[in-house]
Amino acid sequence: MDTCSRCHRPIVTSTESASQASTEPVVLNREQQEYVKRVYDGGVLCEPCLQEIQTKIKPVAVRELSNFLLDYATTLMGAGVHTSRVVRNVNRIAGSFGYETEMTIFQRHVTLHILQRQDDSVRRTSLRTIRPAGFNFEIISNLSTLSWQVHDNHLTMYELREKFNAIVTKPRISRWWVLWLVSFANAAFCRLFGGDAWAMGLVFVATFVGFLLRQEMSFRHINHLAVFTLSSFVASMVASLGVWASLGETPQIALGASVLFLIPGVPLINSIIDLLEGYVLIGISRAVNALTLIICIALGLSATLLILGSYAL
Amino acid sequence: MNGDLIWTLLGDAFFAAVAALGFAVISNPPKRAIAISAILAAVGHALRLYLLTHTSLGLPTASFFAAFIIGMFSMLAAKLIHCPAEIFSFPSLLPMIPGMYAYKTILSLLRFMEAKTPQVQQQLVVDIFQNGLTALFVMFALVIGASLPLFLFHKQSFMMTRLLKPTARRHRKMHRS
Repeated sequence: MDTCSRCHRPIVTSTESASQASTEPVVLNREQQEYVKRVYDGGVLCEPCLQEIQTKIKPVAVRELSNFLLDYATTLMGAGVHTSRVVRNVNRIAGSFGYETEMTIFQRHVTLHILQRQDDSVRRTSLRTIRPAGFNFEIISNLSTLSWQVHDNHLTMYELREKFNAIVTKPRISRWWVLWLVSFANAAFCRLFGGDAWAMGLVFVATFVGFLLRQEMSFRHINHLAVFTLSSFVASMVASLGVWASLGETPQIALGASVLFLIPGVPLINSIIDLLEGYVLIGISRAVNALTLIICIALGLSATLLILGSYAL
Repeated sequence: MNGDLIWTLLGDAFFAAVAALGFAVISNPPKRAIAISAILAAVGHALRLYLLTHTSLGLPTASFFAAFIIGMFSMLAAKLIHCPAEIFSFPSLLPMIPGMYAYKTILSLLRFMEAKTPQVQQQLVVDIFQNGLTALFVMFALVIGASLPLFLFHKQSFMMTRLLKPTARRHRKMHRS
């Protein structure tokens, strides 16, 4: 039996369903037929899916496009990209539908002004908050590719939405993989600073505990400054056991490297790229955010040093 | 002697690759990009170690050249794999981020507030400036080094994620004319 290429349910042929339903067959227009051919090439669609496609594909309205572009821009900003890429990609998508855009991007908000090229009375200005989200390079890469697909293949709004939703809902790498890899990474990092095997082991355990704590607290939506301070404190406390018991030759290096997995590297890089490309305000906002996190890390670490009774680092 | 140097650099490259891989997965990169950014990090970090130990260059300058090499290779990788170049270059820069200098600056500031004697304070002022300026300059050197290739190949750098086939381009030209 055939299955539908869109919803993957078995297709009820028209002879079977003729007895129950007397609806007339769905007729698709040329754009819709091309869409089905392009996206589900060689496949067949079931009746409900055809109906849905028929009702959903329509010429793009300024409101619809503007809402989509705001979704696109806020997702991209949340995924951790520098500002000029967002501006370029949004312009590219709008251009393929015959619109022009102007944007203002701040740390928390995106303002988008969109204007039709032929008729400048069709315009719209809207604002949306950037929701805090974890960095996600896969989304950046796929959404950039999507913007070129729109530009080169002239996708319809409906296709664009479907592809966008597929990209955004793609699951992340498993958190346990991340936990193990980060622990190994920080242990290797300790080695780069000259730590011996004892120090590497200590840093591995410290990072494992600290990162697990960070993950658990992030899932519970605790204030991220508190998350950074506490994770830094716990990780450095675990590493300070090495200083206390004087394990190996270099317990001090282990203590210093144990909190480095928390350093916000991507925001720091992005802030400087933004500063150099002329987006000075958002560059400074990002730098201040990153600096706040670094201060939190230092506070957690200094609490450990206080308990340890020495500032020897 | 020469063999020693090669082993040191290889060890450095290996641990830098592990570090880059682990710090990269926090940001959920595409799976095909992970291995490449690990290799780039290994090349960059080993190059920086070589420049630091065998030439008179300081940390920011050495970081600049390492980042430049990473940037060039990430452009190449971006062209081959159709990802934005920063997907490769960001994770491979992460092991060189001056995180320790950054938080040591803050720690020195905290200690300066509590210092009792002018001698200790003087020492701490030196620490604050040394760590803070190193962190700042290394950050700028890394980013400028890695994005210099983007400015050199300005036009191509926008198009890395484009999956345009030659036939489609011909079609578009015909359509336009």
